[in-house]
Order: sequence, then C-alpha cells, then structure tokens
Amino acid sequence: MHIPDGYLSPVFSLGTGVATIPVWGVAVNKVKKVLNQRTVPLLAIFAAFSFTIMMFNIPVPGGTTAHAIGGTLIAVVLGPWAAVIGISTALIIQALFFGDGGVLAIFANCLNMGIILPFIGYFVYRLIASRAPLRSTRRVWAAGIGAYLGITASALAVGIELGLQPLLFQAGGHPLYSPYPLQVAIPTMLLSHALGASLVEALVTALGVVYIQKNHPQYLTTLRGTVAEADASAGSRQAMPLWQMLALGLSCGLAILLAAGLITGHGDFTHLFGTDWSHVAWSDVGIMLVIVLGLALGLIPLAWFLLPKSIRKVGTIFVALAVFVPIGLIAPGFAYAEGSPEDVKQAFGYMPQGLKQLSGVWSAPFSGYNLQSSFFNGPNVPMWRQGLGYELSGLLGILLIGVLFWGVATLLTHQHKDENMQQEERAHV
Amino acid sequence: MNTTSSQGSVKKTYRRQFGWIEKTIAGIAAAIEQAVFTEEHSRQPGLLQALDPRAKLAMFLVVVLAASLSNSLVALPCLYLVLLLLARLSKVPFDFFIRRVWIGIPFFAGIVILPSVFVTSGPRLFDIALGALHFGPSSASLLSGTIFIARVGVSVSLAVLLILTTPWSDILKSLRAFHVPQIFVLLLSMTYRYIFLFLHSANGMFEARKSRTVGRSSGQEQRGWVSGSMSHLMNRSFKMSNDVYAAMAARGFQGEVRSYNAYRMTAQDWLALVLACLLAVLIFCIGRYVL
Repeated sequence: MHIPDGYLSPVFSLGTGVATIPVWGVAVNKVKKVLNQRTVPLLAIFAAFSFTIMMFNIPVPGGTTAHAIGGTLIAVVLGPWAAVIGISTALIIQALFFGDGGVLAIFANCLNMGIILPFIGYFVYRLIASRAPLRSTRRVWAAGIGAYLGITASALAVGIELGLQPLLFQAGGHPLYSPYPLQVAIPTMLLSHALGASLVEALVTALGVVYIQKNHPQYLTTLRGTVAEADASAGSRQAMPLWQMLALGLSCGLAILLAAGLITGHGDFTHLFGTDWSHVAWSDVGIMLVIVLGLALGLIPLAWFLLPKSIRKVGTIFVALAVFVPIGLIAPGFAYAEGSPEDVKQAFGYMPQGLKQLSGVWSAPFSGYNLQSSFFNGPNVPMWRQGLGYELSGLLGILLIGVLFWGVATLLTHQHKDENMQQEERAHV
Repeated sequence: MNTTSSQGSVKKTYRRQFGWIEKTIAGIAAAIEQAVFTEEHSRQPGLLQALDPRAKLAMFLVVVLAASLSNSLVALPCLYLVLLLLARLSKVPFDFFIRRVWIGIPFFAGIVILPSVFVTSGPRLFDIALGALHFGPSSASLLSGTIFIARVGVSVSLAVLLILTTPWSDILKSLRAFHVPQIFVLLLSMTYRYIFLFLHSANGMFEARKSRTVGRSSGQEQRGWVSGSMSHLMNRSFKMSNDVYAAMAARGFQGEVRSYNAYRMTAQDWLALVLACLLAVLIFCIGRYVL
C-alpha cells in the first residue's frame, strides 16, 4: 500500500501535507499532555515496534504469506493519537532509509496508513466495545472489525488518491500520473484489500487482543493507566457463542435490507426488500422449495462422503450453495450483478460500453445460467423445472472449474517435479 | 515415482511449516544488511559524500520535484544519465545501483501501467482481437506509459542515491534546517536505533520457533503464534520505554532537546546546490519548451 514517487502529482503529494501536518501537531500536543516527558521514549519505541511488526510474515491458507500493518492493534493499546505518531514515524523511516514508498509521497502515505487507518480502526473498536469488560469476547470482535474497516478505509483512500490523478492532471487528453480513473482505481484497491489483506489484518488484530486479554489486560485501559501501571479491573471473561454472533449479524443485515426496501418502495408492503412480490406465484415456489430440499438432503451428505478429505469442507459448501441457488429465482427482477446487459439497462437506464463489449466474448454453453433444452428452458415451463436446470448448470459449472483447476495444478506440479529431478541428476553427476 | 511424490509432499509440508518463518528471517536479515551496506557506502570518499547533508537534501528535493513535474521523454533519460555519472563519481557500485532501482519498483509500475497501455481508444499500432474485445497500444498510450515508468525509475534512483551517500544521522540533522521540530528529529533518531534492537529480538523469536518446531502445526496455531509474538513484543516495548525513560531522566532529560551543529556550508556546497537548481530548471524547460 506504500505509494512510490511518480504515481501522484507532486502538487497533490505535497498538498496532502495540508491534512497531515496539522494532525501530527495536534497528536504531539495530545500525547504530551498525557505522557509529559515520557512521550519521546515511548513513541520512539512504539515506532520501532510498528516498523518491526510490518516485517512479520503471516501464514495464510494456501501456503502463501501476507504482511500486517498492526495499526489498529497499536491504536487499541496506545489510543489513536499516539498511534498516528508511531506509525507515521515508522513510515518516514521506511521511505527515507529503506526506499519503501516515495519521499514526496510521505504525506500521502502517512495520511492513508498513519492517520486514516488507526482512527477508523480505533473508533470502530470503541463503538463496538463501548463499556464491555476488558476480557470480553466483544472486545476481540470489536478489534477485528475495527482493523478490517481501518485497512479497507485506508485502501479506499489510496484508490481515491490514485483515481483523482487522471481527473486533475492531464495534458492533451493524456493522463500525466497514475492513469486509472476513480471507477477503476477504487474498486481495484477496495476489492483486493477487502477480500485479502483486510481479513489477515482483522484476524491478527483479534488474536493479538486475545493474547493481551489473557496476559496483560491492563493495556486495554487508558494510555495514562497503562504507562503508570495502574491496576485494571479486569472483570471476568465473557464469551458470546459464535452462533449468537452470526444470528445477530444476519438479523441486522435483514433489518437493514428490510428498511432500505421499505424506503425505496415508499412503505408499500408488497414491495419488501425493494422488489415487487405481487407477481410471484407462491404455489410454484412451494413445489420448487420441496424439490430443492429433497436435492439438498441427498446431495450434500453425498458430497461430504465422496469428496477427498483435503477439499471436503470447501467442496461441500460449494455444493450446498449450488443446491440452494434456485431460491434466488423466487425474487422477481434479476440477481444483482448477474444480469445481462439488457437487465442492467432496464435497471439503470443506460448500458456501460465496456459491459456490452465484454458480454459478446462468452456465448456461454449454459447461456442465462440454464441448460439449453426445452425441458428446462421452454417459454412456459413451471418454475421448478427452471430451478432444476439452474441447479444442474451450477453443479456442472463447479465441476468444470474444479476439473480445470485440478488439471492446471497437476500440470504445474509435474513440471516442478521434473525440474527437481533434473537438479538432482545434475547434483549426482 | 512413489518416492518423488512423497518428496514433493515433504517439501510442501516443509514450506507450509517454515516458509513464513524463513521469509520473515530473510526480510529481517535483508533490512539489517541494507543498513550496514548503506552506512558503509555513505562514509566512503566520493563526490556526493563530501557535500553538506543540508545541501544534499535540498538538491534532492529540488531535482525530485523537477523530475516529478517533468513529462518529456528527452529530459528524464538525460537526468538519469546525470544520475549514473554522479553514482560513478560517488563510488556507488554500478550494478547494485541499477539492479536495486530497476528490479523493484519500476518493474511493478510497469505491470500496473500495462493495462492502460493496451486498452486505449485511439488509433492502435497493432490489434489483438479476443472475441469482441480489441487490445493494442496506440502511440500516445505507449508514450505516456513509458514516461510514467521513466519518472518512477528516476525518482527512485534519486532517493537511493541520497540514501547511499548520506549517513542516517546526517539526514536527520539536516531535517533541522528545514524547520522540522526538534522533537520529531529526536523521535526519528531514537526510533532508528531501537529498530535494530527490535529486529534482533524478532529474529531471535522466529529462529527459536523454527528450531523448536517438530511435526505439523495448523495455520490457526501459526497465526496465533505470530499475533502472540506481536503482543509479547508490545509488552516488552512498554517495559523498555519505562526503563529508557528512567535512564533518560537519570541523565537529566527534562523534555527539551539540545543538539550542537558542527556543519558549515562551504563554497563547494553552495556551488553544488546552485548546479542542482540549474539542472532542475533545465529539466523543467526541456519538458515545457523543447519537447
């Protein structure tokens, strides 16, 4: 996430200093008030700590590794203002000494990772944790979610900064700096972080808070108390079971969807969740649900027993997804982000040019996610047949992708083995 | 056949067990090595090493600003040639200078810029059809992509040149000349010292973990260990900061920082600074009025 020099216009890079420098000033004053003369040693050591943990590799499923920033963890313990100075100092040393991130881009990098990240992380943590006991599981979740949102917000900021370049700085229609506009830069940065780095950061932060709760709960009080080594009323360990968490999240999501649907549907109860339910034939839906349930009872245990152990969990989840997918057919309108260009045009009133071009590339064998047969896809077939076709094509798709990946993987490992053998032979000679 | 496949799986297990540990240890070693290498080079007798650090920092800022503002495929390579010459005169090893600069960041910049070169709306030089999609560079997109990579490369070279020819303590002291508050300078210099202590402890922790690992452990356990060691380091940081503060207080530290400044700008330094400014103006003019 370190932006090197040359990606941002120097005017823009130095301009971010207008936001960064005052925050540093305020941060120094705030920290000084609490720590007095302890400020310098404490912050210096925590900056070194921040630099060091940015070098830690974290094992991720799949055999690769990732890095964490640890900004939220520091903010949870030291408070956001001290975290701002600690992380910024580490970033400046990285830029000035190790050539990691641009020198002119220091302000921008410090804004993204040194200010936005700890502040978002910390305030989300405080919002969720509120006055929960120090050892409660709620604090662990709060820190994890805070870290996730912190990194994601920081990635969003990078996306916005890069995406603003072609808008602000161009000559004769050609971008001078980073060439990607906002609608490319933001989704790229957001998606790549939200599905990867943010998850790692969230996990590491949550596990770190668990460790601190177990061994040094006093660090979760105020900074003043921590430094003065005050006694912390640790409280007892309160655990909230996972299913309660999931249920809470799910019901919150449903409530938000319901509210949003009611608002867009102008309070009409036939328009719950933003779609028009008056066109749904409920008897068809019933038949389809019965069939889907039957299939699920048969296929999911089958998948569990048939799949090899290494992919059992993942494979079963995918099969279950494929089996339950036809439920989506009930909802009138199109599944979001799955529709054909015509659906998109109907919904948004226009069709992006790139989408139109792209959709011609694949004239898929399962066009419209259904098998090309009149049994499944005729003009007046009942819903359950459509659902069945949908399901079969889903399962076939998963199978195809699986075979494809397996084939590529075997090819790669074979090549690898050949190289190894050649090396061994050479060693013998 | 059976033995090779079992060997492969052993290798895979090994990588899963130790890959992240080895990567971290290698990263720490690389950082320390780089620091030692830099200190070594910044103290060699050379052209840039002889200059006052304040002059050097100002020169760097002026030129990097000019390079960032430049948009010409003539000025940037010319500037790079000047940099190569300066590197030679400052006894920076050539292959190291080129390798370190070009293998890292501009290569990455090249990958980043590639889609924008090929997806363009103008008249294309050649056309690759993929279904209904057409790819191909236009001369304009090719030009702007090349300029982008050249600019990133030159900026990185400049930073590397500054780092390799100036001892860290001098860079810090010269920050004072730019009115960076003294407390920040002290913070940076203390941080820099403690970084090596922390890298040393982290290295010890990872090596201990590696040498004690027998058999397999799950990814969950490994991640738990990593975040546990982070928090353990954090605990040590608190303890250490208390000790350091006590030591500083015992030596009379009262929150104020004093430092003596033995540097004096000589005529040579002023000359170099003026030359750098001229170079920057020249680059700017080439970009604006010539090409």
